[in-house]
Amino acid sequence: MAGSALRRLMAEYRQLTLNPPEGIVAGPISEDNFFEWEALIAGPEGTCFEGGVFPAKLVFPPDYPLSPPKMKFTCEMFHPNIFADGRVCISILHAPGDDPMGYELSAERWSPVQSVEKILLSVVSMLAEPNDESGANVDAAIMWRDNREEFNKIARRIVRKTLGLPS
Amino acid sequence: MRSLGLSALSLALTAVVIGNAFYQKKQFYPSVVYITKSNPSMAVIYIQFFVIVLMLGKLLRKIFLGTLRPAEFEHLMERFWYALTETCLAFTVFRDDFNPRFVALFTVLLFLKSFHWLAEERVDYMERSPVIGWLFHVRVASLLSVLGLLDYLMIVHAYESVALKGPTVQLVFGFEYAILITMVANTTVKYVLHAAELRADSPWENKAVFLLYTELVIGLIRVILYVLFVIIMAKIYALPMFVFRPMFFTMRNFKKALNDVIMSRRAIRNMNTLYPDATPEELAMSDNICIICREDMVSNSKKLPCGHIFHTTCLRSWFQRQQTCPTCRLNILRTPTNVTSSPPPPRPEGVNAPNINPNAGIQVPLPGFNMNNNNNNNNINIGQENPFTNLFAQNFGQAQAGATGANAGGNGTAGQVPPHVPPFVLPPFPFMAPYAIPPPPMPPNLNTLTDEELRALEGNERRHVEERLKLLQNVQLLLDAANSLMNQYSLVTARLPPIPAAATSSTVVPPSTAVSGAASTSSSTPTANSVSPEPSTSQAAFDPAAAKSATPKKDIITPVKSAQIDTNKPQSTLPEIEKDVRIEDLGSEEHADTVKHSQHNSTPTPSTSRQTSEVDPDDTELSEIRRRRLQKFQQQNDSVKTTTNE
Repeated sequence: MAGSALRRLMAEYRQLTLNPPEGIVAGPISEDNFFEWEALIAGPEGTCFEGGVFPAKLVFPPDYPLSPPKMKFTCEMFHPNIFADGRVCISILHAPGDDPMGYELSAERWSPVQSVEKILLSVVSMLAEPNDESGANVDAAIMWRDNREEFNKIARRIVRKTLGLPS
Repeated sequence: MRSLGLSALSLALTAVVIGNAFYQKKQFYPSVVYITKSNPSMAVIYIQFFVIVLMLGKLLRKIFLGTLRPAEFEHLMERFWYALTETCLAFTVFRDDFNPRFVALFTVLLFLKSFHWLAEERVDYMERSPVIGWLFHVRVASLLSVLGLLDYLMIVHAYESVALKGPTVQLVFGFEYAILITMVANTTVKYVLHAAELRADSPWENKAVFLLYTELVIGLIRVILYVLFVIIMAKIYALPMFVFRPMFFTMRNFKKALNDVIMSRRAIRNMNTLYPDATPEELAMSDNICIICREDMVSNSKKLPCGHIFHTTCLRSWFQRQQTCPTCRLNILRTPTNVTSSPPPPRPEGVNAPNINPNAGIQVPLPGFNMNNNNNNNNINIGQENPFTNLFAQNFGQAQAGATGANAGGNGTAGQVPPHVPPFVLPPFPFMAPYAIPPPPMPPNLNTLTDEELRALEGNERRHVEERLKLLQNVQLLLDAANSLMNQYSLVTARLPPIPAAATSSTVVPPSTAVSGAASTSSSTPTANSVSPEPSTSQAAFDPAAAKSATPKKDIITPVKSAQIDTNKPQSTLPEIEKDVRIEDLGSEEHADTVKHSQHNSTPTPSTSRQTSEVDPDDTELSEIRRRRLQKFQQQNDSVKTTTNE
């Protein structure tokens, strides 16, 4: 019998392959290491990220699901809640103890009940509706609030880039 | 590729140096002397030496570990650089002993350290790897034994050297290897635990606990070693700056391990005492999957106050970090689980009670307290007031004395109901009394207890026992009330016609049976028996329980204190009537019950009518309530699911 974290990740992988949610593909990068996943997230329809397919990497701690995984986009992203290096900043990925931004309710934080699927769905909704109060990328937050057109333009350029199209 | 080139270059350089020396000196010994005398040549030789060490390391890694994973390599490099810095710091302390041998020893130490780290990483990886082959086991086991053996030899060597030559740099090596051997021990324990779990078909529940305690013990040993080392070094040489960083981390880890153990113990205790095991029905009703590990719950699951069910082990590891329900984030420590099971008995108002028997009943834990103190006082008081009262009190007191005097030193708290009779409210005719007695407080119906109340009765902790005692006291109260009611009845019947006394005197039973009756009455209330073995000690024994039971009934306590029994009344004055009274009294528990019930129905006070209406339908509606509660849980579950899905 393998460790509980591994078994849980396997169960989640099975669940995700049997009933994949729309616009989300996720799974371990290699079958040898279940603690690093790759995910592909389709930009939600009706938003400036529509049509894009964004690759991301999830790294799970050894004590998963007691601690949350870390998620990082591996493509270029321009979004108020995504750091310039691709790290995703949403409350579901934060353990209840730490509060990097100081505004999150503990009810939105990580708990073992959450799962990869819920994280990815939250990320999709985050793409659709950025939270401009969290300043993971302050430039993007300001632009999203004050100059939406410019923001949309950059987003569309990123979408084309992820699809391998000339911008 | 680059390292291969570098080693080739170093090999070539060495070949050139050696070739040059041979070319110049032609003979072995002079050429060795030449190389050692020339600094550039020695530099090349040193470099070659390090290259050889590196290659040996790679070879050993290939043998024992195979290919390193990127993460392993990253961690190795990180730790290696820290260790190298610390080694350089150590050199400053031992600058007097600085020589090639010293450098070589440090190199070996670093070399072995790296393998310790790698072994540790490998064993940690065991838990996370889906496939562990036999090769892995052979490699890890042999690596651990080789490392342990080397550490041991090095410690022995360092010890002998220090014992022989006094404190030298070997002190540092001995200490470093001692730390390393604790690391080997830790890794070995982890390996054994992981391997045992891998072999088992089901998850091994106590593994996490074992790991916690291993961490704690090893951490403690390390902290002691570090402190000792720092003290020794500070006395002999200088403050060893180079161990401060690892010492700090070791202490932090130890603190964390200690904290983990404490939290884990608390979580286990909470779970064992506060939360009930989930019943099969509850499991069947939920989707039967522990949402923490996503596996089926067959056994060993706990239900939290909010109704959510998880595996015991999953909950324990979660509670170690946070004391909330994983699903609804209910703070389980702040949730009151100790709800009082018995509301304070209703105090009927407006009833001009001549006899405050309920108070006497409530006061049950107290008789040892003051029954002897105030007896005479009260008797005199009553005697001065009213002949009727006097007679009443006398009769009553003697009845009690008869029962309790035989009952091992007059302790019988169960059978005694001190008739505290305030003279000014006493009606002229005592036989009025039964009709005016307020109903005794009902103990809660056990079938209708809520979950919290039931939980409060569970477990072995002090408050659970107190909770149980409270319930038993309520039962006792009821019995006392019935008893006193019977006494009143018998008093009335004894008083009304003077003839029945003589008529019934033929049916007098010997006191022994009467006593056994009293004993059985009191034995049906274990609280009374267990807590009042003797009047002298009963006070102390009762104190906590009395205080506890008194808290919700503060207003009643005051009259209680002045309640008395006349136990000192001589037996000889016991009239025949009294015996008669006692027979009726003790032999008719059921009768008392029915009387009480009939009284309930006849008394029009709002409180009693409410009580009866509460008690009776509860029995019939029990299943209905249960069903409703289950539905509520289901709804809660559903709503939580939908909200989390959003």
